[in-house]
Formats: sequence, structure tokens, C-alpha cells
Amino acid sequence: MARKKGIIRNIKPMEILSKEQIELIHKNTLDVLQNTGVRFESERALKLFKDNDCDVDMENNLVKFPRGLVEQSLRQCPSSFQLKGRADQELSFGGNTSCFLPFPGKDIFDLDTWEPRTPTRKEFYDTVRIMDALDTVHYTGSYVPFFGFKDVPPVMQMLEGDAANFRNSTLPLHCNYGNDCEVFAINMAKALGAVNLGVVAVSPPLSYQEDACISAFRNVEAGFPIYLQSGATYGATSPVTTAGATVTNNAELMAGLVLVQLIKPGTGVLVSDFGFSQNMRTGYPVFGRIESSIHQLVFNQIWRGYKIPIGNHSTGASNSKKIDYQCGYEKTSAVMLSLLSGANEIGYHGCVYGELAFHPVQLILDDDVAGMIARLMEGVEVNQETLAFDVINNVGPIPGTFLTEAHTRKWWRQSQFIPKSADSLTYGEWMEADKKDCIGYAKDRMDEILENYKPEPLSSSEENDIEKILNEAREHYRKNGLISGKEWEAYEKDLKSPEYPYA
Amino acid sequence: MSEAILKLKDAIISYDKNLATQMAEEALNEGVNPGKILDATTEVIREIGDKFGKGELFLPELVGAASAMSGAIAIVEEEIEKTGQAVEKIGTIVLGTVKGDLHDIGKTMVKTFLVAENFRVIDLGVDVSTEKFIEAIDKYKPDVLALSALLTTTVTNQRKTIEALVEKGIRDKVKVVIGGAAANQDYADEIGADGFEGTAPRAPRLCKRLLGKE
Repeated sequence: MARKKGIIRNIKPMEILSKEQIELIHKNTLDVLQNTGVRFESERALKLFKDNDCDVDMENNLVKFPRGLVEQSLRQCPSSFQLKGRADQELSFGGNTSCFLPFPGKDIFDLDTWEPRTPTRKEFYDTVRIMDALDTVHYTGSYVPFFGFKDVPPVMQMLEGDAANFRNSTLPLHCNYGNDCEVFAINMAKALGAVNLGVVAVSPPLSYQEDACISAFRNVEAGFPIYLQSGATYGATSPVTTAGATVTNNAELMAGLVLVQLIKPGTGVLVSDFGFSQNMRTGYPVFGRIESSIHQLVFNQIWRGYKIPIGNHSTGASNSKKIDYQCGYEKTSAVMLSLLSGANEIGYHGCVYGELAFHPVQLILDDDVAGMIARLMEGVEVNQETLAFDVINNVGPIPGTFLTEAHTRKWWRQSQFIPKSADSLTYGEWMEADKKDCIGYAKDRMDEILENYKPEPLSSSEENDIEKILNEAREHYRKNGLISGKEWEAYEKDLKSPEYPYA
Repeated sequence: MSEAILKLKDAIISYDKNLATQMAEEALNEGVNPGKILDATTEVIREIGDKFGKGELFLPELVGAASAMSGAIAIVEEEIEKTGQAVEKIGTIVLGTVKGDLHDIGKTMVKTFLVAENFRVIDLGVDVSTEKFIEAIDKYKPDVLALSALLTTTVTNQRKTIEALVEKGIRDKVKVVIGGAAANQDYADEIGADGFEGTAPRAPRLCKRLLGKE
């Protein structure tokens, strides 16, 4: 029995486009696929497209797609699919279900100075444990919660992170790729009987790198569904307008979706939107802006029409470097709009400054926001009992009170959402409680989870399998020079530590 | 001032590359000293840079002006070189995004700022192999090699490129700087780069400092 099943949306999804606007975007997307084309840096992918009636320029790696093939692939794609973690933890993607994934950050930061630094292995493993403990974190993935941890060479960071997630949580994973990492990630999942979501990311505009194509082939052939992600910077790697950015974004995703369906028809695909505005002074993406949410509202409405599961990833990041008001309003408005418009998968918890900073205290604060929105998604129950006609009649005007009614005792917990880390005190109580704020309460909750929560451990044979696969990867990367002698020295010391692996 | 030069300046301010190139040609045909034409383009791009600094103009305008200027500069420099003279530059930079990485935007921005500050920039593009960087060092004898990488999976190729320079015995011939979202100062120190900058507008300052030309 799955412990976490996602949030069910019982309310009508929010819409922002007219039918005519959707048709115009759809038509332009197909025109871009047919006339401009998409670049695929993979001979194997190009041959597959060529064999299936695409117009392929092998020299320039450019593929132009006939409209019929794109529409057929959209129809072939299932409207829902399942992932599997450990201990029967299964999770459905699609329909009116929404699942939360922490949004990663490269570093952890100090809560006094707010300055980022690389987390330790212990901090990584502890944070995964907190993720597993929280009801609103439904699945996890590569580079979650942090991009890596201290003393691990860059090429091993994804796999060490995946292993930490398997060891300290039972949640399903999405698994990234690059430098053949996906081969070892697939082996880890197979050893545990898990079904991963294999990541394949677009390099906008309109391009797929070779590593992404290899990941598509390997994950589909392993029987895993695919997480197709396109993340443009508006005005730099896509048109600056929402309509134009939607056209390139959708064309990129549809091209990848055609590839996946050609490799194996009927493979589950989640399309993920991960776009940002550009800071027009520095060129860096700027996070937490309303444009990203507008883009996601459009994206969600269109892809709901295609009946393909939708992911939103511009939801988790703020541009603030602190856990503060800006961080709160940027993240909350984005995630609220995503869920209201029907996203099935949302990267949200824990991240502060866009992909660069993550903190377990923010993770815990975001659990409250996710819980609050989950309550909203439940909608409103209107029936004889909730209308409470008899109770109203019984209580009547003052001095009547509803507090003593059995109806109140029965319904109040379902009617209220009680945040775990919010300050809910009066001034007097607050003064007595050392003026504690939500960050203080979240720290307390973090300490409490770390003190008491134990995730279901791997069996000893599962642990041996994971360690064996990690060792094969370490050996592989040392042999082909992707782990230098100096990197290995620090890494080996960490591996020989008596606390290893901190699970 | 020649009418063509005034029009050239207007064309750059209006981001019109074709017109700017045409006006540079016209100025040369009128017999205007090529050095004076270059001075005019530098003057315009400095004005645009100042407005960028004051927050009146932004990247789309800055990059647009740099692009508009590039055609004009190319033909004027060609003309100067025909006379056997060298075009005076602060230094030469070979620039590229490392192997396995197709990200172009940040690198292009760095190039724009360097060109605007009178560096000669050889842009090798994206997905550049170590061998291509080494060939370019041999061919262009740059003062600085600038390596871009956006992905955590490709920053290792910044390290590999530096290691290849050491192996070839040419590491001391060129300063190496790195940039891109996945790089930082700690990583630059670790892999033995000479410098790192987090944003494109600061790239010229870093290169000037490394060349002792601040």
C-alpha cells in the first residue's frame, strides 16, 4: 500500500486562453516542427526519424516533422503512468492527481550569514530523511535535494545522490543522465525493483544534445517512462513573449515525445515546463517572476487538452538569498497557480535562490504551503450534513454557540488546515515564547524529525547491490579519466570514513 | 564629420547591422581615415555601455548594438590590415563553450562585452573539443583562453582542457578564465584556472586585470 499518493484536485482547473488562442499556438507549433525543425545530436535518433518519414538533414542534424506523425505521437502517449519506489511506494502521474518533488539547490546555506556552501554527506542524507518524513513530498530525484556533497567528484554526484535517496527514502525517483550515469542509475532501480522516471532535457532553442538522446533510448529500453523537460530563458533561448515561448517550448517537447513514441509506442511521458525570465542586466535567469507562472498557466491548459501528464518546475525557486518575505511570496504564488491550473508534478519544496540554494528549514516551511494548497484542491463539500441546517436551527442566535456542538467536533479538523510551522499565537503568548517565528518553529520540527524519524532501511542484499553498482561506476570513471587522482584522494577518504554511508 | 560616419553612428544606435556596414563602406569610399571610423564606433558603443551602466539600456539593446557594429568593424579592420598596419587591441581572447555543452547565450554576452571594451575575440562556438582549443591557441596566440560551461556534467571538461594545456606544455603561454552557471571561484581554484567571473559584464575587468591593463 503506497504511503503517499499525491494530491487530488476536486476543483475545476483555472484557464487563461480562449479556444481560438489554443488553436493558434497548436498550429504555429506544428508549423515550426515542419518548417524550422529541431536539432538532434544523435545519429541513432536521426536514423529513426528518417525511417519514419521525417525530413532529416543528416549533415546538420536537423529533423523536420510531418504534422501527422506529431499528432499520432500525441495520441499514442498515455494519459497516466506509474512510478515505483521501494516498499510498495507507487505513484500515479496524470488526471487530477498532483505530486510534489523538492526543487533542488546546488548548495546549503548558513541561517545566520545566508552564505552558501557545499553540503556534507551527512547533511545530504539527513535532508533526504526529512523529505521522506513529510507528507507532501511525494517523490524525489537526481540532484535532489542538493546537486552533490563534499568530497564527491562532479561525475559521481548524481549517482551518490540517487543512492542517498534510495537509502534514506522509499520514494520513487526521476533520474538524470550524462557521462553514462543513467546506465548505473537504471541498474540501481532494477536492483531495487523500482521504476524510475528517466529524464531527457531539451537544450533550447530547438535542440537535443547527444547525451539527452542516449538517455531517451536507454530509459525507454529499460521500460521506464520519460520526463521530458524544456527550460527556456525568455528572450534568450526562446522568444520573449509568452505566446512565442510556448510555441518553441511545445515544439521542443513534441519533438522529444515523437522520439520516445518511435522508440517504443505507448511509453509514458511527463512534459515539464521550466522557463524563466532573463535578468536583462546580467543575463542570468531571474526566478520567481509572474511571467513564469503566466507561461505555466498557458502550458498547463494546452497540455491538459493533449491529455498528457504535466510537470511545472518554475514553481520552486525564488530570487531571494534568504528565507524571507520575497522568498515566501514568489514561491507561494507560483505553486498556487500551478496547482490551480492542473499541473500533475511540481518541483517546489526546499529551494530558496534558483537552483543554487536549498535548506531543510525551507523544505519544512514549504510542507505547510503544500498542505495548505492540498486543502484548497479538496474543494468544498456541499451536502445536507455540511450545510448544517439542523445544527443552525438548534443553536440559533446569541447566546447560542457552535463550539459545543457534536457537528463542530466531527468536522473542524476536515474544515481547517493547521500549519505546523506557522506562528499561530496571540501577542502575549508570542512574547512568552521568545518571539519565535515560522523559521524557529521549522527548525524545531527539523530537529524533531531528525531525532525520531527512521526511514525504512534497505535490506542487506539491496544495500550490497547499491554499493556494488556505485563501485562499478567509481571504477568506470577512474578508468576513463573523469575522476582525477586528486579528486579520488578526497573521495576515497570519505568512503573509508566509519560513518559511511550515513544512511 | 562625414555624413556617412554620422549615419553609421545612427545605424548602430538603431541596431541596424546592414545599414551600419553599408555606411562604414561608404565612409571608406569617401576616403575617411579607417582609424577615425573605428573611433566613431567605439564612441557609440561606449555611450551605449554608459547607458547600460546607468540602467537606461539593457542586454537586448547592448547585444543589438554590438551586433550592428560588428559588420562595420570587420570591413574597417580589413582595410587597416591591407595597409600592413596592426589594429590596436587590449588583447586577444579565444572563447568557447566546452565539449558536450551547447549553451551559447552567456558566452555570446561575454564576447559582446569584450568586443565593446576593444578586445579581439575569437569565438570557437559551442561543444568545442580540447583539441580545437589547443589548435586555436597555436593559431591565434591569445592572451586569454575563456572556457564556458553551463552544466554540472560538463564543467569537468573545463578541467580536462586545462589539464591538456599542461600536458602539451603550453599552460604558461595563456591565461585561462572560466565562467558559466555551474562554475565558481572555488572550482576555478581547484582546477588551476587563472580567474572566474559570475556575470558577463565583469569579464572585461577580469581579463584586463590578468593582463595587467586595468
